[in-house]
Amino acid sequence: MLVFSCHRLVWNLEQTAGDKLEEGENGVKSSCPLCPRRHMCYNGRDKGSRSRQGMVGLSIGEQHFIQGGIAQDLRSDGRKRLTYRPISVETGNIPQANGSARVKIGATDVIASVKAELGKPSPFQPDKGKVSIYVDCSPTAAPIFEGRGGDELSAELSSALQRCLLGGKSGAGAGIDLSSLSIVEGKICWDLYIDGLVVSSDGNLLDALGAAIKAALSNTGIPKVHVAASAPDGQPEVDVSDEEFLQFDTSVVPVIVTLTKVGRHYIVDATSEEESQMSSAISVSINRQGRICGLTKRGGAGLDPSVILDMISVAKHVSEQLMNKLDSEISAAEACEEES
Amino acid sequence: MRGLQVSLNQTQKIRLQRALEKIDSFSSKSNPNASVTVADTIPVNFEDGVLKGHGTSELDGEVVATLCGVVERVNKLVYVRTLRARYKPEIGDIIVGRVIEVAPKRWRLEINFSQDAVLMLSSMNLPDGIQRRRTAVDELNMRSIFEENDVVCAEVRGFQHDGSLHLQARSQKYGKLERGQLLTVSPYLVKRRKQHFHHIEQYGIDLILGCNGFIWVGEHVEARDDMIVEDQVSTSEQQNATPNRYPASLEEQERTYTPLETRQNICRTANAVRVLSTLGFSINVEVIMEMVNLSSSLNLNIHEMLGAEFCVLVAEGEAERRSLKKKKG
Repeated sequence: MLVFSCHRLVWNLEQTAGDKLEEGENGVKSSCPLCPRRHMCYNGRDKGSRSRQGMVGLSIGEQHFIQGGIAQDLRSDGRKRLTYRPISVETGNIPQANGSARVKIGATDVIASVKAELGKPSPFQPDKGKVSIYVDCSPTAAPIFEGRGGDELSAELSSALQRCLLGGKSGAGAGIDLSSLSIVEGKICWDLYIDGLVVSSDGNLLDALGAAIKAALSNTGIPKVHVAASAPDGQPEVDVSDEEFLQFDTSVVPVIVTLTKVGRHYIVDATSEEESQMSSAISVSINRQGRICGLTKRGGAGLDPSVILDMISVAKHVSEQLMNKLDSEISAAEACEEES
Repeated sequence: MRGLQVSLNQTQKIRLQRALEKIDSFSSKSNPNASVTVADTIPVNFEDGVLKGHGTSELDGEVVATLCGVVERVNKLVYVRTLRARYKPEIGDIIVGRVIEVAPKRWRLEINFSQDAVLMLSSMNLPDGIQRRRTAVDELNMRSIFEENDVVCAEVRGFQHDGSLHLQARSQKYGKLERGQLLTVSPYLVKRRKQHFHHIEQYGIDLILGCNGFIWVGEHVEARDDMIVEDQVSTSEQQNATPNRYPASLEEQERTYTPLETRQNICRTANAVRVLSTLGFSINVEVIMEMVNLSSSLNLNIHEMLGAEFCVLVAEGEAERRSLKKKKG
């Protein structure tokens, strides 16, 4: 029986062959990478058995209570296993950026911003623009993120988002249509820099960041460019308009659904207490057509392939409601922004 | 505590605003010199010779407040007491804390105070109930009583000379808390009352309102009488093992889970506390029970108690209650 016991096996299902493990990973990471613990404090100081206001440990009785709740389909705050916390979306928070959004899922609070700059396309894909995603964990979210403490988590989230939204190395299966970012093939294209900031962390960071990026992209306005005629081998002259904007097409941007396995059951939208009890978690990014754009697994426990397939189907089912909820919240937020 | 994010639509915002204004209008404005903000002058009779306490300062010959709060006068002492202060312990307070360290002959607990509290081994009842001197073996077995991250209920015994707290847990009702959840609220919301332990019989749950802002909601556990356990040493040895060690296999674990009905009551009560904390209302057992009854009577899903509509209903209910109280007396 094939059991996936790597700490992170990253797939892109649109490609025929699976990706190898990324370079630099030797598989020896902490068993719960998105729940940083004491030994992951890179400041060099041992802060004792727990950080003061940050991740407090849970007693055996409390852990038992949480596991019992998940098994009985009644979590600590009364939610069912597949219910999300209330999601609120605001757009246009950062006026200097081309697009921005702030998403709150329960107590988790993240901000995403999109900045577009002119750049040169890569020689392997001359007809496509470039997108880079970077996440920063602010020390206001947890004291362990101070200094270099949040670096590992930031790198995790950035690479997971890149896999989920940008597809594989050949660009297949990208959630963002990169060919729409090209201006002059081979010479000029738009470079999108998507930045995420974790302001407050209470579990389920990946889903919140995915939602924030989707909202920020729908809020993004890319300036129209007029390309002037130019010398045959020189750089073309471009005139970036200040007033006319092209709205980005976000109907193909996927949402990310994270399923956390605790005991025998899966839950959606885990709080940080529930995440401390997880054995493994799968994050699936699914677009509106129900197709999977990326898949990430984390956690130390192995998963049987049938379990993974089951989790994927549950994630597909959940993603429909999440997609509708997000779309309605985003349009409400945009309407709110236009009024003010 | 991380606040609940409650997004209200327009009508809900207006209703909430009205309810809060109504509550404000009922608050007693007994002394005219009660509340001050920073840089307000405190009216003081200088002939009496005034002692300037915490939160005051002398500026241009006048006593000026350096904090926002209420002016308190005790004989010649004038000080400003803040409303949302850090927890200020008093002897006899019931508190709920979490063990962070097992040290020689004592446990250190975190109780939402500026320093950690200390629970001495000698202030704790031993499992076999006999009153005796603590030996070295007892010291080595401290972890069998409380481990790191355990939730413990205790009483404030006194202060050390350096300001740190000493606790005692000598009675049966104090001790380790299991089978429930711990909630954190601001300490000023829990006022000191006669009773902090509440056993809600109709729901079968225990509610402990710690004065430090830690509130425990859990399944009801009968306070065991240790003297009886001594007589039945042979049978009780097996029973003693199971409450402390949770069974390893999944099936046995499932058998020991809290029953669903009790769990629903626990979750409702916990959500009631969360909503009260978000709205900033005082937390006491009557208000909590009223909210639980209100939510059951409205047939709300437990999770919907954290939604906007219920928040507004609670605020309006509180305004009603205060107006009735005002009319009575």
